[in-house]
Amino acid sequence: MPDLKLLYEAVVNGDAKASLAITQQALAEGVDPLILVNEHMVPAMDEVGRRFEANEFFVPELLIAARAMKASLEVIRPLLIARGDKPAGRVAIGTVKGDLHDIGKNLVASLLEGGGFEVIDLGVNVTPEKFIETVNLKQANIIAMSALLTTTMPAMKSTIEALKSAGVRDRVKVLIGGAPITQKYADEIGADGYSENAVGAVALAKKAVAT
Amino acid sequence: MNSRERVLAHLAGKPVDRLPLMPITMMFACQQIGARYRDYCTDYRVLVEAQIRVAETFGFDYVNTMSDPAREAADCGAPVEFFDHQPVALVEDRALLADKSTLARLKIPDPLGGGRMHNGIQAISLFKERVGSEKLVEGWIEGPIAEGADLRGINTLMTDFFDDPAFVKDLFAFVIELELRFAREQIRAGADLIGMGDAAASLVGPHFYEEFVWPYEKQLVDGIHAMGGRVRLHICGNTRRILKGMGSLGCAVVDLDSLAPLHEARQQAAPGQILLGNMNPVTVLRNGTPDLVTAAAAQCHREAGPRFIVGAGCEVPRDTPPENLRALCEYAHQHAP
Ligand code: B12
Repeated sequence: MPDLKLLYEAVVNGDAKASLAITQQALAEGVDPLILVNEHMVPAMDEVGRRFEANEFFVPELLIAARAMKASLEVIRPLLIARGDKPAGRVAIGTVKGDLHDIGKNLVASLLEGGGFEVIDLGVNVTPEKFIETVNLKQANIIAMSALLTTTMPAMKSTIEALKSAGVRDRVKVLIGGAPITQKYADEIGADGYSENAVGAVALAKKAVAT
Repeated sequence: MNSRERVLAHLAGKPVDRLPLMPITMMFACQQIGARYRDYCTDYRVLVEAQIRVAETFGFDYVNTMSDPAREAADCGAPVEFFDHQPVALVEDRALLADKSTLARLKIPDPLGGGRMHNGIQAISLFKERVGSEKLVEGWIEGPIAEGADLRGINTLMTDFFDDPAFVKDLFAFVIELELRFAREQIRAGADLIGMGDAAASLVGPHFYEEFVWPYEKQLVDGIHAMGGRVRLHICGNTRRILKGMGSLGCAVVDLDSLAPLHEARQQAAPGQILLGNMNPVTVLRNGTPDLVTAAAAQCHREAGPRFIVGAGCEVPRDTPPENLRALCEYAHQHAP
């Protein structure tokens, strides 16, 4: 049985090779895949988030940690599907229309995957129509929008309005984030949740599907 | 003394009648003449018209050619996308150097070869002709990590620091050669000052900044000095952890974004370093009131001391109320250094 503390460390240090190797070994020895995720990988990403907030980690460190987690998830996900575990929810994520910033959005997407969600990444400059289409065709039940520009924040509001007009607003929870966004803004535009960082985004999404 | 004389005297450490005023405007300037931002980026005559209009309306001491970060990358052959009302943007999922081996074959485009860089150089010539003796003319280049990110894709470059440091250094060396050629032609066309934007530097932290970024920024700055040019460094975002490095490159002006305290920059930068900035462009300049803007400008001035130029932390946002920008400008117009 491998020392699973090493899995935690591999993710924190962004060592994808080690993370994958330990995961494979643990799985071969019969460790429950969900234990790997929930007790080792998710706490590792929490720690990475903490170090980022504390200015000990910067964007490169965040990205390699997320990559290490994904490497393990690649082998874990098929096992969960095979044994009939349902994803926690299906998230359509994207940076809103007119906005091309995607580093934060990509991190949120990775962590949501780590948190057990199926993630459909729509990329950047995503129109309200595209979000609606994903709800209709792919049955997404969470919409996660990112905006980094003050000038593109209103696109979140118009997307929510478009969801209403298309008659799908009550089929989805809408989560928003990005540097200029605040809880106050989320309340104003009628979003279901806001978080200032990627770790918080996972808790938020879990809460959203639980209610 | 006119605007150009004022800035040049201040840079040279000579007495001036009042604080120089050099806020960054792009989309705001474009809005002043009611043009499409697409045209501002692609037609130097539109850019020049808008810059002169904004500089004259608000009493700026300079005009500049920056519009978007994609001029050099576009000329290298990187896929870019044009928008009617947004800056030209790199298409990251088709980045030119998605395959690293492409770098070895990449040729430095001729800045005068009729591409987007040439368009920027034409802007300088036209500025020179129209306001060259009156306003300081500033050109624009991208710094090593900003341009490296444009060519490689910013998300990918961030992980290259760990995966392939040698590639990062080769990439930055290529960028330095590219940017020095671009800078040389801008100086030949009459640029008094070269703005150097190295936005992504705020994302990597002090360790990678010192090891990978600073040495190439330094080469670029030294190279421009050897051509007889001067540099204004601007890094968007939180640069608090790299202020010492930024302040020791020997740039004529270090232009700070709002997340990096000016008083910390003053302590860490080389003595006499001119600092520019840095009120929050959104919460104070765009969303605040004229009184708040005046107070913020005074606070910046106090923190920076006399070696100071008035501006905001980053680009003046497109829909900033004119009375707020006017308050910023009046601070410069009414105060000695
Ligand atoms: C990198 C960058 C760029 C790159 C983007 C590359 C890319 N592929 O993303 C480039 C060079 C292309 C760029 C362009 C521009 N940029 Co820019 N950019 C930045 C910069 C330096 C960093 C942003 C970043 O990646 N941060 C790191 C990530 C990890 O943080 P984050 O995105 O905030 O994400 C975290 C949280 O917000 C949250 N989160 C994010 N999304 C979501 C979503 C949900 C659902 C949830 C719950 C949480 C959540 O979790 C993340 C992880 O913790 C910032 C300055 C800064 N340091 O903030 C400016 C900044 C965002 N840019 C700015 C501007 C003005 C522009 C331009 C208009 C400039 C121009 N004239 O060219 C263009 C606009 C292009 C466009 N149409 O989008 C301004 C925005 C000002 C404003 N408030 O409006 C900033 C703040 C710089 C400044 N001081 O002025 N930029």
